[in-house]
Amino acid sequence: MPIAEEAPPRERRSKPWWLGLALAVMGALWLNGARGIASTTNYIGLGPAAIVLAVGLGLVVLGVLLILQALRGDFRAVDDEAEAPPSRAAFLLALAGVAIPLLTMRWLGFPLTAMLAFALVTHGFGSRRTALDLAIGFVLGTIAWFGFSRLGISLGGFLPLLG
Amino acid sequence: MDILTQLIGGFAVALQPINLFWAFIGCALGTAVGVLPGIGPALTIALLLPVTAQVNPASAFIMFAGILYGALYGGSTTSILLNTPGESGSVMTALEGNRMARKGRGAAALATAAIGSFVAGTVGTLALTFLAPAIAELAFVFGPEDYFALMVLSFTSVAVVMGRSLVRGFAALFFGLALGTIGIDTQTGQTRMVFGMLELLDGVSFTVVLVSLFAIGETLYVASRHASAPAAINPLSGGHWMTRQDWARSWKPWLRGSVIGFPIGALPAGGTEIPTFLSYALERRLSKHPEEFGQGAIEGVAGPEAANNAAAAGILVPLLTLGLPSTATAAVLLAAFQNYGLQPGPMLFATNPDLLWGLIASLYTGNLILLILNLPLVGIWVRLLLIPRHYIYGGIVVFALVGVWGLSTSWMDLALMCGLGLIGYVARVYDFPIAPVLIGLILGPQAEIQLRRALAVSQDDWSVLVGTPISASLLAIAALVLIVPPLLAYRRRQAALGKERAAAAG
Repeated sequence: MPIAEEAPPRERRSKPWWLGLALAVMGALWLNGARGIASTTNYIGLGPAAIVLAVGLGLVVLGVLLILQALRGDFRAVDDEAEAPPSRAAFLLALAGVAIPLLTMRWLGFPLTAMLAFALVTHGFGSRRTALDLAIGFVLGTIAWFGFSRLGISLGGFLPLLG
Repeated sequence: MDILTQLIGGFAVALQPINLFWAFIGCALGTAVGVLPGIGPALTIALLLPVTAQVNPASAFIMFAGILYGALYGGSTTSILLNTPGESGSVMTALEGNRMARKGRGAAALATAAIGSFVAGTVGTLALTFLAPAIAELAFVFGPEDYFALMVLSFTSVAVVMGRSLVRGFAALFFGLALGTIGIDTQTGQTRMVFGMLELLDGVSFTVVLVSLFAIGETLYVASRHASAPAAINPLSGGHWMTRQDWARSWKPWLRGSVIGFPIGALPAGGTEIPTFLSYALERRLSKHPEEFGQGAIEGVAGPEAANNAAAAGILVPLLTLGLPSTATAAVLLAAFQNYGLQPGPMLFATNPDLLWGLIASLYTGNLILLILNLPLVGIWVRLLLIPRHYIYGGIVVFALVGVWGLSTSWMDLALMCGLGLIGYVARVYDFPIAPVLIGLILGPQAEIQLRRALAVSQDDWSVLVGTPISASLLAIAALVLIVPPLLAYRRRQAALGKERAAAAG
């Protein structure tokens, strides 16, 4: 058993109980979903709901276990002891780069979306040469669009706005 | 004799110019992703999965095999020259290899790594050639309950071995299993867990899950943690090549590494990392120069490098004979087979001998191509690291978009990429393993089919699950895998506690 006094008190020491909670909620969703699956009463074998039920149960149990572990301080972020705190700005910029296609892909098409995503991610990594990054992103996106189109993989229209 | 004729037939496929071309592309790509941080073979193959729509299966798998092996060659290069292992299987190589490079013996370390990889890759492929057909024969007697037991064993061992914690390993596994239940149930046609969204009827695409968890999660993680860290680009210069003494000290570790690596790679949760640890420990014990370990002992490079290449060949044994993936890369390869409507397993040796034997033969040629690509050209590969990091990760995101959007140009896939990318980030921060998610996602539905088939045949009699000697012993092993490690840990803790008490009392 880990003894509480052994661990030095740490300011930033996280207790990610919410992780276990999220897992348990997901399990509850699956349990609830299993109820909604009409059990075609086959005279033999397992119905389609059984595995959903089992997986939901497993998730709930594991979620509760994770919560307990987190509260006991048995597990935490891998780099809790790292010197520099994680940079929220960099993270959000990179996340914006990943999320921007949700907004633009259907309107601006692949090459322009790739350009925006590329520039946002590179800025998340600290680059500040916006024009150059946009240019590289556009070239990369265009090459990918043409290259994969030739391989027979559709990446949508080049610029859907123009039809 | 039969195997030899089959193998010769395989070479007839692998040596066709077009297939040599794909092998070359695969080897070059594999070496590149092995050198670059943040991308591994699993991700690369996943991003190339859309290509399977256009390229014939033999050529595609020959390319994928080149990526699988090439990543290991490339990973050793950065471990040695920069002390930054590109892949998890190269961590041990960095220990001694980088020390050697600092002493001006980098070229010798690179040479022993590359030649060792070649030797072990060839030995492993030889073992695969002669073992795989035999195991595939064995698999013909497997009934649904045996397959189910095998998959349960695969689940437990992946969850136990891959994670540093049992709960987190199983949490990852069940997350994957849960994703696998989304979509239309193949047996009854019922929709499950689609939350009213038509796009989910076909289920969650394996490619989307893998790309998001690995590429997006890793990009977000590195951006938030190390965005400002300067890229450590200071490759050490080569120095002298292997001397006669180096050869004398290398060949035994190569062979021992091969012997350790192959069988462990072939286990249901072997992977390429564990054999490298074992090989390193063994070489350290057997070495005539134990004092050199930690200072740049060539055995410490030769052994682990051989071990991880032999393990890569071993991984293909359960994949090709039983359709059982044991690592993330193997799971992607299984997905690639499914893209072609093929199910790896005993039947495949009978129905598609050209494809399978062409693939196996290409492992021989691929190793040779890699040796040629890596020995003289190592300086070019290291140049790849001169690309600034923000461009590498920007490029990774663009290609992740290609992989996800190119599947079916579906907005839902993009949304899933975003959400699962965030989950991948959380998994990275809190040290959840990713491989169990992938194995659960791809094997879960198959395990369910086998279970329901077994129960249908037995008229709902659950004892059928332990009804054959094979299934009973496989389930017993699965239980042992689950119970033994915590038990050992508990006993160790008790012993430690007992000592503490004794110390406190005395």
